[in-house]
Amino acid sequence: MTEPRSPIDDAVRAAGAVVGEHAGVTAVTDYGDPEAEIAASRRLGLADLSPLARVGFRGPGAREWLAARGVELPDEPNRARVQPDGSIAIARSWTEALVLGALRGADSVCDRLEAGAADGHRVRAYSLPRFDGMFWFALTGASAVDCLAKLCGVDMRESAFPVGSVAQTSLARLNAVIVRVDLGDMPVFHLLGDSASAEYAWASLLDAMQEFDGRPVGLRALHALAREFE
Amino acid sequence: MPLGLLKYGLRPRRPPDRFLPPRPELKRAYDTVIIGGGGHGLAAAYYLAVDHGITDVAVLDKGYLGGGNTGRNTAIVRANYLTEDGVRFYAESLDLWRGLSGELDFNLQYSERGHLTLAHADSAIRTMRWRAEVNKHLGVDSELIFPDEIARLVPGLDLSSDVRHPVLAALYHPPGATARHDAVVWAYAARAAARGVELHSDTEVTGIEVEGGRVTGVETSRGTISCNRVLQAVAGQSSLVSGMAGFRLPIHTVPLQACVSLPLKPWLDPIVVSGSLHVYIWQSARGEVVIGGATDPYGLYANRSTLEFAEGTLLPVLELFPFLANVKMLRQWAGMCDMTPDFSPVMGVTPVENLYIDAGWGTWGFKATPVCGKRMAELIATGRTPDLLQPFRLSRFAEFEQVGEKGAASVGH
Amino acid sequence: MKIMPCPLNGPRPIQEFTCGGEVVATPNPDRADAETWADYLFLHHNAAGIVREWWYHVPTSFWFIADRNTVTDEIVRTFLPRELFRPDAQRDQP
Repeated sequence: MTEPRSPIDDAVRAAGAVVGEHAGVTAVTDYGDPEAEIAASRRLGLADLSPLARVGFRGPGAREWLAARGVELPDEPNRARVQPDGSIAIARSWTEALVLGALRGADSVCDRLEAGAADGHRVRAYSLPRFDGMFWFALTGASAVDCLAKLCGVDMRESAFPVGSVAQTSLARLNAVIVRVDLGDMPVFHLLGDSASAEYAWASLLDAMQEFDGRPVGLRALHALAREFE
Repeated sequence: MPLGLLKYGLRPRRPPDRFLPPRPELKRAYDTVIIGGGGHGLAAAYYLAVDHGITDVAVLDKGYLGGGNTGRNTAIVRANYLTEDGVRFYAESLDLWRGLSGELDFNLQYSERGHLTLAHADSAIRTMRWRAEVNKHLGVDSELIFPDEIARLVPGLDLSSDVRHPVLAALYHPPGATARHDAVVWAYAARAAARGVELHSDTEVTGIEVEGGRVTGVETSRGTISCNRVLQAVAGQSSLVSGMAGFRLPIHTVPLQACVSLPLKPWLDPIVVSGSLHVYIWQSARGEVVIGGATDPYGLYANRSTLEFAEGTLLPVLELFPFLANVKMLRQWAGMCDMTPDFSPVMGVTPVENLYIDAGWGTWGFKATPVCGKRMAELIATGRTPDLLQPFRLSRFAEFEQVGEKGAASVGH
Repeated sequence: MKIMPCPLNGPRPIQEFTCGGEVVATPNPDRADAETWADYLFLHHNAAGIVREWWYHVPTSFWFIADRNTVTDEIVRTFLPRELFRPDAQRDQP
């Protein structure tokens, strides 16, 4: 089997993406100019995180089953909590969770959870494969809120949508999960949606980003920023 | 100089023409009461009088004549349906429409301009071909045509292939027409009234009296009337009126909105429909571009307009006709659609004896005005359901014999 | 824009939702005759006034119930199905 590919692999390669391994993940490392991408990320950047791990769980026992494996879901639906290993646990409803793997993807908690998923059936916690079904982008930077306002009806300003907020809503008329988990003082919105519409979502976002001088960025820039904020 | 003219010339004041008689006092009893003074109810009254000599008839309307969906629809007439039952029924309506201005001696501005239903996908072409074959088999003029011919009929249409929904083909229905909807109401009302039918606007029905399973009268805001027979023809209020008689209908009432632009010079001859884009468009004699779309997403008894409709309907119009981008919209309105599960009407007898129903007209009622009026009048006069109406009986749902016309609805709903 | 208060997601534009029809009792599949099924499938109350309906939030596949006025186009109240139905451990519940 070949390496898992992003649903927008063709589109990002056509835009000059360098795909390679970085910090344990095979993904878009950069678009040829990592330094410029760091600056762009602070302004307005869009990264394709689709090659990173993610997995969902649903069922009345999902919360307890995940807790027993060290994943602490937020108490309320539509909230996200960053785990000590950097993964993000999202409560999509009272009985459904989505776990996003850490930006440094090696030894992902998602792989561990998925491997043990059959065991969850005893307590009615059922795994939902999300890797192939959902794209995962990150919209970063100071203009991210203004950019999202063009595509989404939910108020994404920090006063209404602070870090840890989740909105499951319509983004560019697609169903999407929007999660705010900043990197230090840099706003970051994780965007997840149906992978069949990934190319459309990517193109719509880039189009909306134009007026803010936004651009696609690679994982190398995000990793550099993450280190900076650590 | 005609003497009559001289007579008026010598008088200080010319007496006003009275097109419709003044509203009379409400009698205590009529042979037949028709609830609903729209096109359908007035047509039934007209044919009861003309075809069957029944003139002891009161037409009741809670508002003004033609103030409901007859005055709110987008006035399209066509017969290119999908089922044999549907095609036969609407084909007879087309025949009646063609002679109607003459019969009623009133200019209904009936305009045969052709009707195109665009196909944007192979599956749509398949349905169009099916409809064309059913139509031709039953003597209705319909043909599948392709972009070269579409371009001749609709020069302004974007036929390029690099768009979201390229036009691949169209079902062309040359007899597709439009008519002046208010004129239809006025003409039927005037000609029925001339034969003795009473028109009672501003007369709301508040109850239906049933004894021993048989209708005996109606309660109104102006007093109670006893009668032998009742016809309910109240599109948009059908469930509420049938509820007064104690039975439910396979109907869900949903608003349908439409809008017109400021008048433009004539540029569009036929009616153009796109089911995939959920829009239809034609140009009125006044030059206004008439635009309709899908029904509202949820049920309501309110004629309010929404921004979502304007946005969601006008964007796809621009995909078909990009040059309309700077045209200003003049007004937007809504009517109430009684949607049925099979997209066909409900006509005929009801669980209450001598109470007849003309309902379930969803988004397809205006075009059926003459045939429905004529055949419902026949049913009321003879007590026998005409063959043409039999497939549309209310009991078809309990018998699991629906008349599936969703594939021929002008736009998806 | 019409706002629907979703019990899971809070206030949202109504375009994010689909109406699932009147809340009515489902006939017992073992005992119901054809007439009962036809009634259940096809006949509606279609009331003018406050109606009780199923609604569905599409981005979250979440079903709930809304009391809604079909004359004034006002949403009176939204709530979880378990208020009306036997609590079922397999359904979403707080």
